[in-house]
Amino acid sequence: MKLRLLLLWLAVGVPLAWGIAKTVQNALKLFH
Amino acid sequence: MAPGFFDRESTVAPPGYDRFLVPPAALAVHLAIGQAYAFSTFNLPLTKVLGITHAAADDWKLAEVGWTFSIAIVLLGLSAAVFGRWVERVGPRKAMFTAALCFSGGFMIAALGIHYHQIFLLYLGYGVLGGCGLGIGYIAPVSTLIKWFPDRPGMATGMAIMGFGGGALIAAPLSLRLMEHFRSTVSNGVLETFVTMGVMYFMFMMIGVIAVRVPADDWRPAGWTATEKPQQMVTRANVSVDVAWRTPQFWLLWGVLCMNVTAGIGVLGTASPMIQEIFPGRVTPEAAAGFVGLLSLFNMAGRFIWAAASDHLGRRTTYMIFFLFGIVLYSLLPSLGHLGSTGWFVAAFAVIISMYGGGFATIPAYLRDMFGPMNVGAIHGRLLTAWAVAGVLGPQLVNYIRQFQMERGIPRAQAYSVTLYLMCGILLVGFLCNLAMRPVEERHHFKPAGPGKSA
Repeated sequence: MKLRLLLLWLAVGVPLAWGIAKTVQNALKLFH
Repeated sequence: MAPGFFDRESTVAPPGYDRFLVPPAALAVHLAIGQAYAFSTFNLPLTKVLGITHAAADDWKLAEVGWTFSIAIVLLGLSAAVFGRWVERVGPRKAMFTAALCFSGGFMIAALGIHYHQIFLLYLGYGVLGGCGLGIGYIAPVSTLIKWFPDRPGMATGMAIMGFGGGALIAAPLSLRLMEHFRSTVSNGVLETFVTMGVMYFMFMMIGVIAVRVPADDWRPAGWTATEKPQQMVTRANVSVDVAWRTPQFWLLWGVLCMNVTAGIGVLGTASPMIQEIFPGRVTPEAAAGFVGLLSLFNMAGRFIWAAASDHLGRRTTYMIFFLFGIVLYSLLPSLGHLGSTGWFVAAFAVIISMYGGGFATIPAYLRDMFGPMNVGAIHGRLLTAWAVAGVLGPQLVNYIRQFQMERGIPRAQAYSVTLYLMCGILLVGFLCNLAMRPVEERHHFKPAGPGKSA
């Protein structure tokens, strides 16, 4: 159950984290 | 006959099931359909399908392409309203699977439209079929999450609806990368990107389809009992969907959602030109794109943070904060613009957009408080027609007023002031709707049919 919980959260968390990182990268241009 | 894989009976969780397995299933669907918010990344490429590097004479015009997103949002609201009861009846797995078929199928039909250069196929695919996928997918996990988290319904639905905001953060860079990858001398890559995204999103949504579970009817969180202390604005009864939508409370909440969304969506859609025109020469187009990205982050974060906070603050108080604080911030924006205070302007805008997102995410829990958990998914579906109306009303109001102001010779930098003050008025209407909220009268409560009685 714990492994399934980890895998599920990774499956949705990794793409979301990638999207957030890209957006933050873009947003930083506002302050340059 | 044994229930099939997609039937509700097959999704009932066994004893000891960890309820935190359910939010990622909901997130898988919402992160996928949240792609809709990033549809604008396709706008320009869709106007260069024939010309590839430039818009050819026969290429679609931007205004024509722009209708695709509007159709999708209107269909989102309509399909959520029409299919809400069906979603409740068949359960989340079948509904999420249907959403995956519609959403991915929409991409495929739209790709055909690009291939044959027939805009009606783009409208029919992404707009109509994809829009149905958006509506069904949006409401599918909501009532399931409310049943799994009766102790924290705001946090649970906030987590899923946060995914709808987060979906754009993934889709925007993903679409750009895919179009770059598929670009060639014979294609600008948008057709291949549509097909790839259709397949990818179908597979991603299937994670949710496979993982979702509903709790058994008698399941309660360990150690939790429904509070004995009566709370005025949290009912312990249920109201059926057919009765709920005839109550004043439904229409007041419809007004609350519609006003909150209208105020946010109108300025969100014009955020990039707005900041460039209010601060001419100081904010470049690249920086404006960064500003839009920052707003997307706050839109997403606000969904979770505000909805989770509403479990402690109460739903009515949370919306009071949205409306009152929103009025204060909107009324400050023109002055911040005149003062040239970019930092404060961005900060105020970010908070406003967090409350816009929070409004979406808190509404399912507000409905559950007013009408009980029995039909909350279907009632939520009907309430989303407010989003469809706001999706058309908000951008039209902002664009029309800006155009009107500029035609009267008002400088570009000041053309938004009236719009921003108008948003205060819209939020005031929402505030009054929220102020008028009262518990649903007892005569509307659902009475289960007892022996020898009819419901």
